[in-house]
Amino acid sequence: MIELVHLEKKYEAATPLKDVNTVINDGDVISIIGPSGTGKSTLIRCINMLERPTGGKILLDGVDITAPKYDLTQARRKMGMVFQSFNLFGHLTVIENLMLAPMDLLKKSKQEAFDTGVALLKRVGLAGREFQYPDQLSGGQKQRVAIARTLAMVPDVILLDEPTSALDPTMVGEVQAVIRDLAKTGKTMLIVTHEMNFARAISNRVFYMDQGGIYEDGTPEQIFDHPEKELTRRFIKKLKVLELTVGSRDFDFIGAGAEIDRYCMQNDIPSRTKYRIRLAIEELIQQMLLPVLDRTPIRVTVEYAEAEQAATVTVAYGGERFDPQEGENELSYRILSRSVEELSYTYDPNQSDANTVRVRISEKQ
Amino acid sequence: MLNIESKKNAAELSVALIGRLDTNTAPELEQALNASLDGVETLLIDMEQLDYISSAGLRVLLAAQKTMNKQGEMKVLHVNETVMEIFEVTGFSDILTIE
Repeated sequence: MIELVHLEKKYEAATPLKDVNTVINDGDVISIIGPSGTGKSTLIRCINMLERPTGGKILLDGVDITAPKYDLTQARRKMGMVFQSFNLFGHLTVIENLMLAPMDLLKKSKQEAFDTGVALLKRVGLAGREFQYPDQLSGGQKQRVAIARTLAMVPDVILLDEPTSALDPTMVGEVQAVIRDLAKTGKTMLIVTHEMNFARAISNRVFYMDQGGIYEDGTPEQIFDHPEKELTRRFIKKLKVLELTVGSRDFDFIGAGAEIDRYCMQNDIPSRTKYRIRLAIEELIQQMLLPVLDRTPIRVTVEYAEAEQAATVTVAYGGERFDPQEGENELSYRILSRSVEELSYTYDPNQSDANTVRVRISEKQ
Repeated sequence: MLNIESKKNAAELSVALIGRLDTNTAPELEQALNASLDGVETLLIDMEQLDYISSAGLRVLLAAQKTMNKQGEMKVLHVNETVMEIFEVTGFSDILTIE
């Protein structure tokens, strides 16, 4: 069992891990997902102390491995690491790469290390490659050797840092198959990955990392199908988000229009959808809200889900209940309601932005 | 941005709209038409290069249509597909003469 207690990692310019607290149970297979730069690799590099945390504790089977006098080789024997870039010794043959650490650290005999190495190569589909050098192998084969080398140390925990991201796409499948097989063995695994389907298939838990920690922790079903928290939802649905705040009646709508155009262009949003996004914002804010009452600030969020080719425009404003449908501007309401797929209005007096209008615009409508 | 290119030929006024006819630009068209509709019997509004129209633009067209009902006729020309959709959902396709 690994317990992370108020784990912190600070660099001079950034703090990827602010306060991470979790318990990793024996046999957990955990996929770590999240946007770039959110500390995913830092987290697993801290767990095996390749990076020394700047705060907090890591307890491995109850023992604090961050304690100053702790003998790190003990922890590293229990934890194997697979890197993005394989890190094989180029001057050693495949089998020598596999035999080195077991002989040096586990004090295995040459024969025993050789036999284990041969068996592991067979397991990762590389029987017969024992005497080749890493340079003679493809990227996928090198990574499979790297996995076999990790297994040769019989670790309790395997940490994999984006094991397929340096591979040619044609080789991703063979490495994933090996990891999939490994995930069934009951070993504890933590894997940083960008491959969502893979994460869903192999894990019993998923960490979504953001904002300096494990932002959401759940089963693959929870995280991928019903994420509870906003940033997880945006990430999983691959939402491209644009946020605008209309601070006053003098707001620069021309500038904002240019910003929306840029956002649509960057995200390949079809021109018909772009037209409707701009129309919805203009009719709702410039025609229906601002002329009759000053409800600024008005917060506008545009989210585009690439997979669904659909945009959601949310317009939130404070004050008393004001449903645009009940306003007097029939023409604008008609344009708004007929140029979107769905239109909803909600009022919650407990929120500072009590009024929310949400429209969905789809390429298929 | 909206560019308005007007050409007057006796009692016929042609107005080409280029760009966007929205809340920000509709007042320009309104002003331009108010200043030039006197004595016009045929008003042609060319939308070949009009990319966008909102309710603000429709209101200016409606006002122009009302004026022209009294003194002649108004035609809207070369409407693209997206603008046409707005005319259709608002019923403007029945009010305006679109060619």
